[in-house]
Amino acid sequence: MTDTAIQIRRMNKFYGSFQVLRDINLTVRKGERIVICGPSGSGKSTLIRCINRLEDHQDGSINVLGTELNEDVGSIDLIRREVGMVFQHFNLFPHLTVLENCTLAPMLVRRFSRAEAERVAREYLERVRIPEKADAFPSELSGGQQQRVAIARALCMRPEILLFDEPTSALDPEMINEVLDVMRELAMDGMTMVCVTHEMGFARQVADRVIFMSNGEIVEENTPEAFFTNPRNERTRGFLAKILAH
Amino acid sequence: MTDMTHPIPRNSRLEQLRHRFLRTPLDIAVTAASLLLALFVGWKLLDWAVLSAVWTSPDGLSQPCRDASGACWAVIEARWRLILFGVFPYAEQWRAAVATAALILAGGLSCLPLFWSVIRQALLWIAAFALFMVFMHGGVFGLSSVPPAQWGGLALTLFFFVAVVIVGMPLSICLALMRRSDLPVIRGTAIILIDGVRALPLVTILFTAALILPFVLPGWLQGDKIWRVIAGFALFFAAYQAEVLRSGIQALPRGQEEAAKALGMGYFHRITRVVLPQAFRNALPPTINQLVITLMETSLIVIIGFFDLMASGNAAYGTGEWSFAYVEVYAFIALIYGVFVFSLSRYGRYLERRLRVGSS
Amino acid sequence: MPSLLRNRKFRSATLQVLFVLAVMVILVSAVTTAQDTIATNGMRSGFGFLDRTTGVNIGFSVLQYDANSTYRQLILVGLVNTAILGILGIILAHIVGLVVAAMAISRNGSLNLVAQGYVELFRSIPLILQALFWYALVTHLPAPRNAHEPLPGLFLTGRGIFMPGLSVTGEAVALVLGCLLLGAIAFAWFMIDHRFRRISDSRRRTGRLVIIGLTLLACALALNAGRVPDMPLISVPELRGLNFRGGFALPPELTALAIAIAIYGGAYVSEILRAGFQAVPRGQLEAAAALGLRPLHVFTRVHLPMAFRAVLPTLTNQCVWMFKATTLGIAVGYSDLFYVISISITQSGQTLELIGILMLGFLVMNNMISFLLNRLNKAIALKGT
Repeated sequence: MTDTAIQIRRMNKFYGSFQVLRDINLTVRKGERIVICGPSGSGKSTLIRCINRLEDHQDGSINVLGTELNEDVGSIDLIRREVGMVFQHFNLFPHLTVLENCTLAPMLVRRFSRAEAERVAREYLERVRIPEKADAFPSELSGGQQQRVAIARALCMRPEILLFDEPTSALDPEMINEVLDVMRELAMDGMTMVCVTHEMGFARQVADRVIFMSNGEIVEENTPEAFFTNPRNERTRGFLAKILAH
Repeated sequence: MTDMTHPIPRNSRLEQLRHRFLRTPLDIAVTAASLLLALFVGWKLLDWAVLSAVWTSPDGLSQPCRDASGACWAVIEARWRLILFGVFPYAEQWRAAVATAALILAGGLSCLPLFWSVIRQALLWIAAFALFMVFMHGGVFGLSSVPPAQWGGLALTLFFFVAVVIVGMPLSICLALMRRSDLPVIRGTAIILIDGVRALPLVTILFTAALILPFVLPGWLQGDKIWRVIAGFALFFAAYQAEVLRSGIQALPRGQEEAAKALGMGYFHRITRVVLPQAFRNALPPTINQLVITLMETSLIVIIGFFDLMASGNAAYGTGEWSFAYVEVYAFIALIYGVFVFSLSRYGRYLERRLRVGSS
Repeated sequence: MPSLLRNRKFRSATLQVLFVLAVMVILVSAVTTAQDTIATNGMRSGFGFLDRTTGVNIGFSVLQYDANSTYRQLILVGLVNTAILGILGIILAHIVGLVVAAMAISRNGSLNLVAQGYVELFRSIPLILQALFWYALVTHLPAPRNAHEPLPGLFLTGRGIFMPGLSVTGEAVALVLGCLLLGAIAFAWFMIDHRFRRISDSRRRTGRLVIIGLTLLACALALNAGRVPDMPLISVPELRGLNFRGGFALPPELTALAIAIAIYGGAYVSEILRAGFQAVPRGQLEAAAALGLRPLHVFTRVHLPMAFRAVLPTLTNQCVWMFKATTLGIAVGYSDLFYVISISITQSGQTLELIGILMLGFLVMNNMISFLLNRLNKAIALKGT
């Protein structure tokens, strides 16, 4: 139990009468790197948004770091503190500077002193390689820089798990690599990561397991080598053919 | 710029002016006519307001005015204390002046970037309000007590405006948040309250506050009429301001609140640290507009029997002595309102420009 | 138990129940306090007073009213007067607003400046101040004996503006105005609604004629029913003693308020319209001009209809606002709904009931305006957007 980070059992989710997720079973061990891919509308974003309760699930159970996700307010607070998230559109707070973006939650939620929070923030800004932008506003940064700040902001909470929701989809092509580099370094440091992404190169290099979703179901779960060279499922093959064609 | 029919040389201001005012013969005619009209009206106005005006009347009588063709500013000289302070005890009117000055000063200070934080604004206005009450109401520090029934003129108008905004602004935030609540009962209540108030004219709300509240409130809660009317006015202001804020909140991308949630921030922190600061920034131009409208609408309290700037103006020319000088008195009052409205809207424009820097 | 207290669904349910309870406690205590107050002051509640006579006279009334009339009639007078002022104000404000907006968007710089000055000036002076100013100005016009007569039969006096009119009862006038309004709404609906766009031109022409004919017929019937016996149909004001007799008199209160609402409301309407005109993409206008339409036609057939669609929701709010603004009639003594309610309260002491009627009246009238204009908005909305 102690080395299980996330355990999802027989989970179903509906929007009204429309079922978005069907019978999801997934276990993520601590330190594991999971990449989830699949066509748009397959429910992959919804799945990772269920892990930190941005979306409710209706059926089955989700257990994160030994805490069951249910209607208990305390468990939601606890899990959100331990699970960081990086969004497709960065979602930096535009009215705060980069440094303030990084210190806000640690001060309010983790009760860090300002000095401590700023020290941690500067350390992580250093790690994502933009310490010089600490006093800039998000609107003064490029997309790639904003996304790196967003990663630093999530790290400042010292999370056990990081969720990535298509972190490079909103970026111009020349900025994708600077973000992927940061993610690769995180992976090497042993961070537990669940990434929804279409960056197949990243998946091949970094992932311990690749999960393919379609129509709200987990269709295939495999090691990267097996996934890319010898996919078991017909739908996976079709998807890979399209995405690797060019 | 490939439009060869109307080339606009961008570098020459004179050319631009010519293009705007004198492009075609019709334009020339219209511009000439406007200019002539402006000159005519301007000259008439100058003649009336300055050249032929009577500025002073030595013995406070209206006789010199009756003989002159221009404006009779002597009426202002004779009645300015009535207009500014109403029926406040004459010997104590310096107190009303100090109290009014405190409010105006606080208004000016709150515009400085130094005071741009919720706590500082709150402290500033509490201090200004306390100062106002000490001087205006008295009853402490050896100042004689002057009940609100004797307040009047500009002092009363500004007091009303400030009190309404101080009470109404927090209320509007509550209403706006209630209106976007996930809980259907609370959201429904907010919708009924906001839409109900907005469908009614302000005077009916004020009337209700003055006449109905005494019926339905227990004695210990009734207080002076002025407080009840301020409460009603604040509710009216809050209903409109809540909609302004709601549109400011709706303009935020959904991801902002989600990001705050994902960082583990609770409802209170999400609202106070992420949602409201941005919502206020988005809603700034309509908020300033709402303040301007509210300042002008305070003049409606004359209808339920308060002796505000409007009423004291009426009284200033209402007596037989000066009854012919209504234009001058109304012009003076319009000027007072105009100064406040103008500076408020100028400040709004300055803020808009300034806040555009540093945010997307 | 602690786990239940920390349950999200339990929390929100509890919160809502507590909220409802709090609201109910406030309402119940308000009602009981009101009953106590009424009982201790020896007042009677209920609507029986509506049939009592009022014993007061009021200034302006289109309907038959005197001191022996009942409260019911008095309130009806107020409603009609509010409707007259409101509709007059809205129409005038739109005329003023359209003119000023046209100046604001014209290519001539001097006209822009005039429009800008107008808006800045009149939007920064409170409406009630403007109303009082115009009222003072109108009542300071010369006495009837020395009346200005700018046109034959038209007299400007401090007691009102007198002009030739039909000698019919006020009820008939109100009825005619109502018929015209209904006719105008029907006509606009017929012209604008997409359902009627598909029928042939000749049938459209017939439809238009039928609507106009029916409206005129209804007006004529109303006028005939309201003829004052033994008087010529058209009466011209004549000076008798200290005042004019006969003809149609526009009282100074109505005149001042209508001018004030037209000028103040017009400034706001012009800003709304200007924003609408500027929201029309330049390409649309250039396309119209490229098709060979003359500037006037570009304006009336392309620019105005598109701008109108864009601003109708905002204009609806503005119309409701102007209707509510009629309540400051009391400041100059115009007997609108608010005024008659407030004198009824002083006369009868039935505060709660009368304020209830006042609020209900405004809720109904304002929702009617919103309803009509929202229907219009739906009817003219561009399909597929």
